Amino acid sequence: MNAVTSSATVSREPAPEPAGPRNEPGPHRGGPARASRRRRARTGWLFASPALLTIGAVTVFPVLFSVLLSFADVRLEYGGFSFRSLTGDHYAAVLSSPEWRQALAFTFGFTVVTVVLELVLGTAAALVLDRLGAARGWVLAVLLLPWALINVVAAQLWGYLFNGTYGGLTWFFEQLLGHQPDILGQPASAMGAMVVVDVWKTTPFVAIVVLAGLMLIPDDVYEAAEIDGAGAWTTFWKVTLPQLRPIMAIAVLFRILQAFGIFDLPFVLTQGGPGTATQSLAILGYKTLFQNLEIGRGAAVATSTAVIVIGCCLLFLRLFKAQADEGGRG
Amino acid sequence: MALSRRTLLAGGLAVGAGLTSGCAGKSLDTLLTQAAHVPRTPATLTWWVSEIPSRGGPVVADLIIRAFQRRHPQIRVRKSNALSTTDANRAAVTTQLAGASPTPDVYLGDTIWPAQFGANSLALPLQKLLPKDFWEGYPPALRRVSEYRGAVYALPFFTDSAFLFYRKDLLAKHGLPVPRTWEELLRTSRRIQRAGDAAYGFLWQGNVSESLTCNVTEFLADADAPVLDHSGGVALNGPGAERAFALMREFTETGVTPATVTTYVEADSQDAFTGGRGVFLRNWSYAWANAADRSVSKIAGRVGVAPRPGFAGGGPPGVSCAGGWSNFVNPNSHNLGAAVAFARFCAGEEAQMILLKNAGVIPALQEVLTRPEARKIGDPTLTMAHTLRLVARPVQTPYYSQVSKALYTQANAVTGGRTSPDGAVRAARADIRTALEGRAL
Amino acid sequence: MSRRAPASGIRRYLNVVNLGGLAIVVLSTLPLYWMLASSFKGPGEISAAPPTLAPTSPTLGNYAEAFVRNGIGRYLLNSVLVASVSTAVVLGLSFFAGYALARTPLRGRGPLMTVLLMLSVFPPIALVVPLFLLERQVGLLNSYAGLIVPYVALNLPFAIWIMRNYLVGIPHELEEAATVDGAGPLRIVLTVIAPLARPGLFTAGIFTFTATWAEFLLALTFNSEDGHRTVPVGIALFTSQYTVPYGTLFAGAVAATLPIGVLVLIFRRSIVSGMTSGAVKG
Repeated sequence: MNAVTSSATVSREPAPEPAGPRNEPGPHRGGPARASRRRRARTGWLFASPALLTIGAVTVFPVLFSVLLSFADVRLEYGGFSFRSLTGDHYAAVLSSPEWRQALAFTFGFTVVTVVLELVLGTAAALVLDRLGAARGWVLAVLLLPWALINVVAAQLWGYLFNGTYGGLTWFFEQLLGHQPDILGQPASAMGAMVVVDVWKTTPFVAIVVLAGLMLIPDDVYEAAEIDGAGAWTTFWKVTLPQLRPIMAIAVLFRILQAFGIFDLPFVLTQGGPGTATQSLAILGYKTLFQNLEIGRGAAVATSTAVIVIGCCLLFLRLFKAQADEGGRG
Repeated sequence: MALSRRTLLAGGLAVGAGLTSGCAGKSLDTLLTQAAHVPRTPATLTWWVSEIPSRGGPVVADLIIRAFQRRHPQIRVRKSNALSTTDANRAAVTTQLAGASPTPDVYLGDTIWPAQFGANSLALPLQKLLPKDFWEGYPPALRRVSEYRGAVYALPFFTDSAFLFYRKDLLAKHGLPVPRTWEELLRTSRRIQRAGDAAYGFLWQGNVSESLTCNVTEFLADADAPVLDHSGGVALNGPGAERAFALMREFTETGVTPATVTTYVEADSQDAFTGGRGVFLRNWSYAWANAADRSVSKIAGRVGVAPRPGFAGGGPPGVSCAGGWSNFVNPNSHNLGAAVAFARFCAGEEAQMILLKNAGVIPALQEVLTRPEARKIGDPTLTMAHTLRLVARPVQTPYYSQVSKALYTQANAVTGGRTSPDGAVRAARADIRTALEGRAL
Repeated sequence: MSRRAPASGIRRYLNVVNLGGLAIVVLSTLPLYWMLASSFKGPGEISAAPPTLAPTSPTLGNYAEAFVRNGIGRYLLNSVLVASVSTAVVLGLSFFAGYALARTPLRGRGPLMTVLLMLSVFPPIALVVPLFLLERQVGLLNSYAGLIVPYVALNLPFAIWIMRNYLVGIPHELEEAATVDGAGPLRIVLTVIAPLARPGLFTAGIFTFTATWAEFLLALTFNSEDGHRTVPVGIALFTSQYTVPYGTLFAGAVAATLPIGVLVLIFRRSIVSGMTSGAVKG
């Protein structure tokens, strides 16, 4: 559980202990200080509990229920679910299925490629926005539009653009290549198309999170760099990026979560095809649950996905922390 | 530790079971007794219904509901608009049914659902409530898909049949007849394509979805190759199956069908056809009305319709996948008697006549298709419907979804040129076996 | 690209920043332009090959279809209500929770943050059925609350993470000064911290609003009656079994995007100032 603590330090300063007056921490804590600390902790719980209770009330039961289903021999009968016994069969079936492995590979590859692309492009866009003059409001507003588009609609729009008969992009590439491309019909180009759409739709998310982070960087840091005679590139690597690191971590973390759960895009654009080339884990889980009505197995797909994502996130946080520590030392 | 974990799990299961069991353990007999009587006291039904294609007039579902309420003034029927895309529709309705929701009382569902829904207790078995001669008026293929292990889980509403739509003007220009075999269709297509009169010859549906399974089922039936045998085991094998798969490859290889067919669902193929890009189109009966609609179609008035071709030396043309939508009764309904009455009304003559006159679908009751009113509408798909040889998809297994997925995945690979026909047959056969053993995802 | 490099000369506007801004605008809007243009195309033109760059004979038919026949207005109202209430509640709850996690000596903050993360990891498809059971038991199906409650819960973790991250960076001096003045914790949070947290609130608000605005699966399954359905489901209802009516679909999409677009454009100044003014610059 060491990794757990690292998540708490994804914050701007290494380990801020904002509680109480500055002189409070120390080996010899006085009585009043401890009482104040306890009072502040109580306030903290009071402030945090409405949110935590809401999350708990809504999500804890469904998550546990799903995990149970994934281990249960469950049937549908008149009147609802009937549980027979506990079993590991669902996981055995899922983990041994080549289709699951393929879905995992696609989802993992998709996540890595889109998150990296979106982080790079999103940071670039944020830097541009940060430096834009009068036009900043307009550009920001325009940037928000793809993000605001309803996912299902965005997928339909791109499906229309990629349409093999009358799609605008199909036509464009036909002029370019001299023959009509089968964009969504071939595995490589279908995956590429999926990445393009996701980058178009989600880069604004990263850009805005990073932009808000840029706003928090104090000006004097830059002034110091300028006095040192650092160039733009050096300033970015040595000053801006380290300051942005925590906020970027959050963006990456939540992008990993979203990308791993990718559903709408392949569902509308390719239905997982051609063959099963773009079948994500979420699509596989959906098909198992709602098309095959294999409830236990569907729950096993979902639960194993969740475990893998949590693993990835914790790994990321740990790598991030290790790197941050190194950076701090250097 | 193990003990405490087990206790925890058991506790969780109990909580889950408590939450889920509104009326768990209800015996089927009790349900059927309730279902046998139409209530005399006021009742309200919810009917889950996706849009029924209309001939441009009033909303068809409303007409049916009004007619039913005239017959049963004490029963009110409320319409719940379902999504028309089969998969999203199924997700929404199965969530409600699996959640033991008493609504919708009656739901309109695809004819591929009965076995799966019956096996999972999501639909009430109705055979004990039907007269012996109930099925006499309906196509036998429809009966086959509505039954699972001797129980009837769906009552007929409307059917869908596949036809070959063709460009009358182009065939006339080249002095060619409507092809009766696939070999002939390939020759005709190439000739017209070479003359530059159409970009493509034959348009159909090759997307990884149920649409492709319908096409594959038809090609396999043309080649007289069954998917499952009578005992429900896998039968897909041999030269017949390979011939069907090889034909799909030949279409794309020769350019008679565009390579993008691997992404086509019905709408895409129809749009390409009405845009004047193809000579032939395999589609469902509703495409007739769309191809004739001048606001959508560039080729209105130049379209003919014929039975689908067969293989040279094979069976006669006119094979069509048995598609369509039927009414199911929710076993958790609080108004079982009224629900069954409504589902039966929809299958009856009055409702079927409403469908004939107002809806762009083929009524399930065969007899209404021979009425003079059917000819008056002037839609050849209506008058030709009863001449077709309807083939059922292999839906008599609760694992049909997985079987279908095996078929469409391999057929898509063959069409896209990613595997050979015999390789695809072998792979599909293996995947179907895995599916039937309940091991497929 | 130095931050304060004096831009001068004839190449004043031809720099990396402005070109980047131009690229953002072009790439973001091109597909959207296609959608807008297509929403004015008639049924024949929308599936014309090769496609037309602008509607040759613009028509409002798709909009009539979307609003009159399919009644998208009702779905829009429902969406506005569900999304704004969810966003408001999420912001309120996440602000206080974020404050607690950032600035009070809560024990077990680390594990708590991780648990929050883990709960938001679970694929929504797996939560639909149990949530449905829960809502049926409580009687929340076919109501606004039936969507708002899960939306709030599912969007809180990210909002809390964002808020905590912002609040951690605010200097303690301000808070200490207020404590010395004798202000209680609630007053400090509302009068001292809240104004400084505007960028965080804004970021979390945008993301919550767009996420709830676009949510499809829960909206589809929990509200089966038209009276409480939201825009994504309403637009999906356009698609018929056999045809994709792209024109109507895009008209509906434009109608669903326009309110957000207009809001963002009107408030573009306050958005930027909102993101900067609260920021603590040295």
